[in-house]
Amino acid sequence: MEILILAFFALGYLVLAGADIGVGMVLPYLGRTAGERREAIAAIAPFFLGNEVWLVATAGVLAGLFPALEGSLLSGNYSLVVALVLSWVLRDMGLWLRGRLPGVRWQGFWDGAVVTGSWGLALSWGWLLSDVLLGIHGPIAVLPALLVAALFATHGLAFATLRLRGVLRARAAVLSGGAGEGRTYALTATALVAIGVLAGFRLPLAPGTSGALLVPVILTMIPFLVASQAWVWWTFRHRVSEPSYL
Amino acid sequence: METVDLARLQFALTAGAHFLFVALTLGLATLVAVIQTRATLTRSPVHLRMTRFWGQLYIINYAMGIVTGLVMEFQLGLSWSGLTEFAGNVFGSALAIETIVAFFIESTFLGLWIFGWNKLNRWAHLALIWVVTLTAHASAFWILISNGFLQNPVGYQLKDGVLRLTDFGALVANPAALIAFFHVGGGALIVGGFLMAGVSAYHLAKRTAEQDFFRKSLRLGIGVALPATLFTATFGGIGFQTLQPTKLAAWSGSANRLAEAQAEMAAKYGPGDYLPPLGWVHAGGITMLTLFAVLFFVAGVSFLLMLFRPVVRGFRPWHRLLTALIPVPFVTMIAGWIFREMGRQPWTVYGLLKTADAMSPVSSGQIRFSLTAFGTVFAVLILVNYWLLARTARKGPNAVTLGDRPLALGAPTLTF
Repeated sequence: MEILILAFFALGYLVLAGADIGVGMVLPYLGRTAGERREAIAAIAPFFLGNEVWLVATAGVLAGLFPALEGSLLSGNYSLVVALVLSWVLRDMGLWLRGRLPGVRWQGFWDGAVVTGSWGLALSWGWLLSDVLLGIHGPIAVLPALLVAALFATHGLAFATLRLRGVLRARAAVLSGGAGEGRTYALTATALVAIGVLAGFRLPLAPGTSGALLVPVILTMIPFLVASQAWVWWTFRHRVSEPSYL
Repeated sequence: METVDLARLQFALTAGAHFLFVALTLGLATLVAVIQTRATLTRSPVHLRMTRFWGQLYIINYAMGIVTGLVMEFQLGLSWSGLTEFAGNVFGSALAIETIVAFFIESTFLGLWIFGWNKLNRWAHLALIWVVTLTAHASAFWILISNGFLQNPVGYQLKDGVLRLTDFGALVANPAALIAFFHVGGGALIVGGFLMAGVSAYHLAKRTAEQDFFRKSLRLGIGVALPATLFTATFGGIGFQTLQPTKLAAWSGSANRLAEAQAEMAAKYGPGDYLPPLGWVHAGGITMLTLFAVLFFVAGVSFLLMLFRPVVRGFRPWHRLLTALIPVPFVTMIAGWIFREMGRQPWTVYGLLKTADAMSPVSSGQIRFSLTAFGTVFAVLILVNYWLLARTARKGPNAVTLGDRPLALGAPTLTF
């Protein structure tokens, strides 16, 4: 059961937050002007807080249920994880700060932070997953990392096609065509889940000794967590029709 | 510097920055929830505008708190795998509960509160800020259960060189955690109350047209800060009874007591230096107590002054003093944190695991790289955060974008 809980949160993160990462990566392509970029960001704005928290929960589950793995996985990939966390911080700073001041240069700078941070996140995940999954280290690992990054970007485009309208939606549909946006999203989501599951099989998933306490607590909480997220999805089920707060 | 000192410095910068942001987040969230309750019950326009203005400051600060929190959560596994491997079954359990029971819901509902403004029913929107506030305090509770375990380990059994949790009730009832939770929660209200009063005083000193708005805000800020100082001091006082003998000896500064504590520890754990850095502990404690006295005195006098409307409107020296005091509660919080955490050294888990043994097997170069990177990011974060807070506070309630109704791009259509 410990492993299923870990998988639930880790895979939830890859699918949900993966779309935010992807939209951030293709932001310069989707939005050619400051106004268009704000509209593109509105596609993910209401969701990204509730999406990235799946990774916070994954790390919490690791800390409580797999403490030995938490230490060896993170410290064993020290520089990669540092790069991942730094990219995450940069992306979030960009999202939060871009709208705080009206200037074009201010917004352009933080949009750049969103793009850089999103690429950093995608590549660090790619690097980390290829290390765990294929055991590839060193410069050659850039190839599988780029492949995973491309998958995040495609996933982001599919999500943007579902959320945007007009010319932005047409740009986002470049890979999925007019009608296939739902199917593309399902496909990229499945691919991310598959990579996550395969990587999970390669990890030494030996639970610690606190499962008897934590598993019932977490299983009781999961319906509430899903319900709170469902409330967000329901509230923002419409296509983007106005710029968001960010 | 030794590698372990660099790793400690990195964690101290992370936790210190996070603590500064979180203190204000906890305090302001509570105040905003109270104001929004009033606004929802009475539909009073001034309280609605107060919710948006103080909510805006809260959100600016909250975002910075999240990102430092992310770095902190990952740093435990990155730099301190000795701790996660040895004590993760106990210490990590509280962290897991924190993320699942508190932070997950806090973050999800905060997004809904921000982006769902004007979209949701006003009672649902009010419920959201209360859930966010309560889960924020719950989050602080579970983090302090983790921290309390490091200060005073309870509820565990040592087996095969690894701790396991045997008594969850004892872990949660740990006095080193519970007293700290109330102490820190009170401190957060002081930080939030003084910020609210100080910003309001700034506008009142400038003879703002928003008299009603800032008079009400100033009164709320002081009205919360004064009881909060008493509450915080009460639990701080009780907390002194739960301090470790070495921390107490370092605080007393008496050579006899220091030698006694050192001899006692050496007899128990073998030869070694068991005293915390005396200068830090002493300076931290003195700073905390001195600044507390200042805050208590100012809050008390301000409470009397604010009962007279002409004084609230026109007594500029008092306004200037309140504005100048905005940073003081932050410094007091950090000083208390240094006192508590420096005083735990040389232990990570008091009496069980030394800090030097808690570190991951990573190289000095790796730590130098991450310390430089994180240090730079935190410096930027702190500067941008306080600059934006000051700018937003100075511009006043008319420039707030939170809860604004933006121009629509067109009629909404269903996504799916």
